[in-house]
Amino acid sequence: MTRLYAGCDVGSTTGKVVILDDHQVVATALIPSEVDPADTARLALDLAASYLPDPSAARSLARLVGTGYGRNEVPFADENISEITCHAVGAQACNPSVRTVIDVGGQDVKAIALNPDGTVLDFAMNDKCAAGTGRFFEAMARILRIDLDRLSELSAAAASVAPITSQCSVFAETEVVSLIARRTPPPDIAAGIQLAVARRVYALARRVGVQPAVAMTGGCAKNHGLVLALQPLLRQELVPLDMDPQLIGALGAAVLARRKGMGR
Amino acid sequence: MPVISSLSKAKPHTLRSRAVTGACRVASSASIASLGFRLGPWLSWRSVRRYPWLKVLLRVNELAARLTAGRAGFYQEAVALLLANVTASIVDSVQGALAMPQRTVLHEDLVPPEILRAMGLHPWMAEFLGMVLPMVDPHAVEGYIDEAENQGIPADSCSLPKATLGLTLCGQMPRPRAVVTSNMPCDGGMMQYVLLERELGVPVFRLDVPHDVSSDRAVHYFAGELMRLIRWLERHTSARMDWDRLRAICEERNRAIEAELDLWDLLRARPAPLAAEPVYLTHLMYTVAEPGTPRGTRMFRAMLQYALRNHEAGLGALAEERHRAVLWNPPPMVFIDLFNWAERAHGVAMVMDMLTFHHHPFVDTRTPRSMLEDLARIIMQGPMARHTRGPAENFFGDLFHIAERFSADMIWLAGHVGCKNTQALVGMLRERCRMRRIPLLIIDYDLLDPRAVSPADIQGQVDRFMETVMGESRADFHGTREG
Repeated sequence: MTRLYAGCDVGSTTGKVVILDDHQVVATALIPSEVDPADTARLALDLAASYLPDPSAARSLARLVGTGYGRNEVPFADENISEITCHAVGAQACNPSVRTVIDVGGQDVKAIALNPDGTVLDFAMNDKCAAGTGRFFEAMARILRIDLDRLSELSAAAASVAPITSQCSVFAETEVVSLIARRTPPPDIAAGIQLAVARRVYALARRVGVQPAVAMTGGCAKNHGLVLALQPLLRQELVPLDMDPQLIGALGAAVLARRKGMGR
Repeated sequence: MPVISSLSKAKPHTLRSRAVTGACRVASSASIASLGFRLGPWLSWRSVRRYPWLKVLLRVNELAARLTAGRAGFYQEAVALLLANVTASIVDSVQGALAMPQRTVLHEDLVPPEILRAMGLHPWMAEFLGMVLPMVDPHAVEGYIDEAENQGIPADSCSLPKATLGLTLCGQMPRPRAVVTSNMPCDGGMMQYVLLERELGVPVFRLDVPHDVSSDRAVHYFAGELMRLIRWLERHTSARMDWDRLRAICEERNRAIEAELDLWDLLRARPAPLAAEPVYLTHLMYTVAEPGTPRGTRMFRAMLQYALRNHEAGLGALAEERHRAVLWNPPPMVFIDLFNWAERAHGVAMVMDMLTFHHHPFVDTRTPRSMLEDLARIIMQGPMARHTRGPAENFFGDLFHIAERFSADMIWLAGHVGCKNTQALVGMLRERCRMRRIPLLIIDYDLLDPRAVSPADIQGQVDRFMETVMGESRADFHGTREG
């Protein structure tokens, strides 16, 4: 019988589950977070299990590791491990050359420096301020009355970049409102928003020292406009990961579950 | 406060350690009560009304209770004994400042109090209340910081001078006969004394510490500065220098330092027979605040004896020493329980720190000149002085030296947000720690203001570091698949 291992990443915005067998990813799930992190974990695991050839196999997982801000509330976890470690392990599992991981999540940003063996050398995080996180993008998209995907597309069409100088999301909101009032083209505003976040993320990444290769994880890594704004600041291209960047934390948790489950 | 269960299996309380801890609490209470007797009813009543911070100091036994909790055996006894004596020292200091204002000299923490005591003056360290009050109650100086900021002190400057200024601006700093300060350790500290001079309206003397702290020329110059200070004090107070008394104080200091150096040797052992407060608080109190007193010598010798007993019994201060840390920058006054908590939560022994590690400990007492020159060396080569001025090598050289000497497997930098001098070195420190493969934890916090970063946030930073960088599994997680 195939042994299965799972990682469950309970984030502020989404819950993610990755299930592995001894060789590969066999199922993934990504759902919006519920109010109760335990519900999020349960629903995400159920959804991932439904993609397995035998959904009941999820009831006999060899090991499950919880991570993310709600990791202490994953009721069926054998162990919980910090999201910093999980993102590091997940990114390296996708691309062993990665030495720096930038995780831009819903409510925090992390920069993680890795040792060649994938262990964490150093990290820096901002979990006090919404600026530079998914929440910031959500607030800006709400003002522009577009969704997040459209924000990303819009910034790619900018003729110039509208300056947004405020670090704080509250003040940035007022700046964007002023730009709208001055009839600044929305693509330029969107590009300004991307650059403001990119600068914030870059400042954090510099604290741990940016060593190539650099990978970006978390939900905001799907924002192509942010990736394009960040790369010139980093003076290098972000390496692609062969998995949804939002699932990297859960993947790392699953890889750690498999390592421990296989006695490595 | 979360405590990880598997690491809290400290040595069981012995009857002896319980008895010693209890006796120390009684002694502390007696010291506090004696303040009322020594001041007399009228001055006591007036002082409590005029100086509300006295009510915080009266709760100093709470600090002892917190810092002895969870510790056991000789380590617990050492902490209890130390805190009882620190309480007595604090009471002496406060009593002198309140009862003898004409003999009290307010001084900066890098001015040698030995000289003041040798002249029969009462040294009252300006930064003393700012440092001690948050140890007892983390919120104790918030109002004083606000007062300083409301009067125009920049919000991003160091909270220690802000707290001291706030106390003064609120009229809650006992008025001294004179003030002695220096051009150290930082701009914020120096600026504070300009305002203190204006507010207190008393004469101020400023020692000029040369920039190059290691040359003979600098020693000669600064010893001359100390001589100039003595003449100035003789002019502005009724005191006269008593060189024999200075010799006795310096000899007492040497005896204390001898015991401290022996203690340092023992701290190199694994497991460390003592850690945290018996190391840094003994040093702070009895070589910086109150050097050269018989009480200080007794304390260093007592700490040495406790360390020896543990060492000979093959015991460490901690039930299980899993890691050894050296601390850079002053301990976080606003969360002084950090080390006690980290011992139990992560098995971290804080074996040495920046303020404790000192370069030139002994004073040559043969002549007045030799005493002044060695006191000059102590000040110039002291921590803070060496580290906040001069080349960055002073900072890194000391840091990596103590990390190696005390076999630390990690460095904790108390990254006080108000200390611009240290913040400027953080990037270089990261690079150098990586080159040496020493894990570095930079704790973001404010020295005195828990509103900037709360104790819980500080714990969170340590937890994350221990888990992700040191690879420590958390022992307080009990998830079950059946849940």
